[in-house]
Amino acid sequence: MSSFSTRWWVAVDWIEEVIREGRRSVDELEVFYVEGTSVSADLKRKNVNLATTSRECGLGIRTIHNGRIGSSSTNDPGTWRDCLAAAIASGKLATAQTWSGLPDPVSLPASPLSFDPALECDPGLARDLLGQMLEGAAEHPAEITAGSASLSISSETLANSHGIRYRDHYTGVSLSLEAIERQSTGYEFDHASSLKDVDPRNVGEKAAFFACKSADGKDIPTGDYPVVLSPLAYAELLGNVFVPALNGRSVHSGRSRLAQSLGETIADPRITMYDDPLLPRASGSTWWDAEGTPTRRIDFVRDGVLRTFAYDLKTAYRYDKKTTGSAVRGGFGGLPAIGHHNFIVDGERENILDERVIYIHNVVGAHTANPMSGDFSVEISNAFWMEDGGFEEPVRSAMMSGNVFDLHKDIAGMSRETRAVGSLILPSIRLNEQRIIGK
Amino acid sequence: MPDVKYYDLRHVTGQVTHIDIDNGIVESAGTSFFNKAVLRVLDRTGWGIIQIDNFTPCTGRKFEDLIQSARKLAGITEEIVELGEVPHGILPVPPLKEDPRAVSIEEKSALLAEIEEAARHPLVTNRRANYVERIEQVRFTDSSANEYSYEMCRSGFNVLAVASQNGNVQMGFEREHSIHGFDLRHRQDAGKSAAEIAVSLLDAGAVKGGKMRAVLDPELAGVFAHEAVGHASEGDLISEGNSVLKGRTGEKIASEILTIVDDPALSEFGFDPVDAEGTKVLRTEIISRGVVNAFLHTRESLAAVGNGIAGHARAMPGEPPLVRMSNTFIENGDAKKAEIFEECKNGIFLAGSRGGQVDPGRGIFQFNAEYGYLVENGECTKMIRDVSLSGEILSTLHRITLCGNDRKMSPGYCGKGGQSVPVSDGAPHVLLLDAVVGGSGLD
Repeated sequence: MSSFSTRWWVAVDWIEEVIREGRRSVDELEVFYVEGTSVSADLKRKNVNLATTSRECGLGIRTIHNGRIGSSSTNDPGTWRDCLAAAIASGKLATAQTWSGLPDPVSLPASPLSFDPALECDPGLARDLLGQMLEGAAEHPAEITAGSASLSISSETLANSHGIRYRDHYTGVSLSLEAIERQSTGYEFDHASSLKDVDPRNVGEKAAFFACKSADGKDIPTGDYPVVLSPLAYAELLGNVFVPALNGRSVHSGRSRLAQSLGETIADPRITMYDDPLLPRASGSTWWDAEGTPTRRIDFVRDGVLRTFAYDLKTAYRYDKKTTGSAVRGGFGGLPAIGHHNFIVDGERENILDERVIYIHNVVGAHTANPMSGDFSVEISNAFWMEDGGFEEPVRSAMMSGNVFDLHKDIAGMSRETRAVGSLILPSIRLNEQRIIGK
Repeated sequence: MPDVKYYDLRHVTGQVTHIDIDNGIVESAGTSFFNKAVLRVLDRTGWGIIQIDNFTPCTGRKFEDLIQSARKLAGITEEIVELGEVPHGILPVPPLKEDPRAVSIEEKSALLAEIEEAARHPLVTNRRANYVERIEQVRFTDSSANEYSYEMCRSGFNVLAVASQNGNVQMGFEREHSIHGFDLRHRQDAGKSAAEIAVSLLDAGAVKGGKMRAVLDPELAGVFAHEAVGHASEGDLISEGNSVLKGRTGEKIASEILTIVDDPALSEFGFDPVDAEGTKVLRTEIISRGVVNAFLHTRESLAAVGNGIAGHARAMPGEPPLVRMSNTFIENGDAKKAEIFEECKNGIFLAGSRGGQVDPGRGIFQFNAEYGYLVENGECTKMIRDVSLSGEILSTLHRITLCGNDRKMSPGYCGKGGQSVPVSDGAPHVLLLDAVVGGSGLD
């Protein structure tokens, strides 16, 4: 850790200068600085075709003056004076709003939540992870088409003119493998903050399994079927439609179907949905959000009832709400905006595979769902008739149509197993009457 | 000169100016800066690649050290990568009709506000307009002493209207992005149109899923060309064995009226003056009169696969190049729009696009229309919403039986391998038989 502490002081030194300089022109300012390294190795068929290292750094500055918020960013910290000037100029264009200040510092635990000190950005390690995925894939006769293993270490620094000086460290490992058997494809992935939480052999085995098992699928007639959506298929629908509708800014500006539903039952009463930013080793975990608000659990849906929306400072001040610590940043260049840390769907768990169902591993085209109404029609992939938890006949090709909001009222059960798909942590869900359009 | 088989360096600096207006409020507006480079080295086996933020151009010992680091990194690769011989050269960047840098951000903001204001309607609950202007200075150099530098400016706007009535929420969307310069003046029509679509969709019905005849408008037919054919013809996927078009050069997979092209030299939103590894860009006829003609290639995939044309390497700043589409389109046929509707007789007309996705190895694609109409007796009747189409590449292409003569290109972005690059897609109106339509309607 000594290298981190050295760089911390180097970082702080010029960040203090940015804040001192900025304070001469604006009421408040916030400085965000990220730096990181990563290494990755990619397969082309079964051979390692390329190896990449990257060094990234980025500076984002946000200024607030008379309720006007300005921002700018650069990945050349040496030009911070230009970046600061651009942020101040930007603030002059923004519409003024009610603003009651950036957060003050509080004492937060120093131990990082998603950091593995054993993880190194070592190309040899990336190659070994690819090798383990290939070993797993060898259990089935599918051809490997592509794969990737990457390792990353980064640190984020947040400082503001109220005295916040936070710094945190993050690590990540991510794996993926693609396989094909004749005209049937399989894809699997895994990601975690710690090496011991990924299972490369399983990624390889599953990718090859799905490619082989989906070959020779049969068509099915159009109708309503009992289906189980895997966490991956569920994540596609939830992440593209449902989660954005909980965003407080979308709610107050008329872009959310859930806007009028506070206190109403919007899901099966067994379902609870919450953001847990403090889950150890989860990929979105953090002690403080992107504008320095200490994070805490947010219960969006409890027993099927919608309880709250997500807020950052800007939206909370504007609509007389409290921030939920939900500010996140899309890279250093992004302004803090409302998002989530680890979005979890939970509730009563059971065996949902005891009756004959169509198991849908993934869907194609969920980003084309209507984000306002929630209506979707997507192609299904790696779908199977499943009996007693065993993969039986594969379904060749079909579409699935429905409404992401409405289907939550029809969830007939949640699996005991959960899986992290990006920052969503989800079970499989069962729907008893889901429209499938055959070909 | 460094002692390696091949290297190239692509360094991109630039700035992005954005304005975001939401229900009359300027949420944010301003300029950010970036500086990114990527160095690729090929020696005995595969690629060693170094991505560098905040790159300072260097020569001599310092550059040699970078090359050696990349070469060392390549030590873990196994595949022996060969590069195809390609023509080099750079096209002139089309001049800007009005340079956005000559317009103050205050004026831009005022013009954008007019577009946003034009979406006002009693049933519209949210109006949102965004302006984005991205200026990139690109410098490319390789181990064969090819050197190019150019500047590209892409700018444009999106306007969204959300209409709401009795719990029904619908949206209308218009966008205009261009390489030809500033384009915010007198564009209130876009805001008005977004609002009209959103409000009309409140009364639209859901379509019952199943097989039917479909007329696709130029924007949606362009997305069809991009998803159903473009991706599957990318040389990297062909060489990985992950495309149903592999090994089909010379095979007839579509009716004779169908020709599909990718042309990075065309002055549309996907224009590249030179590709991301210094290759001259050329029009590539992927499908020629129904026959698989040429794949899209980088130098690496050209050497591995052949049967196609290089010059299709594209990359985001600081990212390694991938085989990508640029301006992809279905060539004009000779049918008139009225004939296409007449031939459709009973079916659906689909317009606009909310995007699409393809699994090229499986040969299955999906894409979604913004709105549509039932076609009854050759006439558009009831408006419909949330219609997706899915299909199999190899069987669907035979089912395009009429192409109009009114091709139009639409700008957009295409994602692959975590990189998003500007593209345009286009087509004339086309008739697609036996379209598999997904919708949640019951009758």
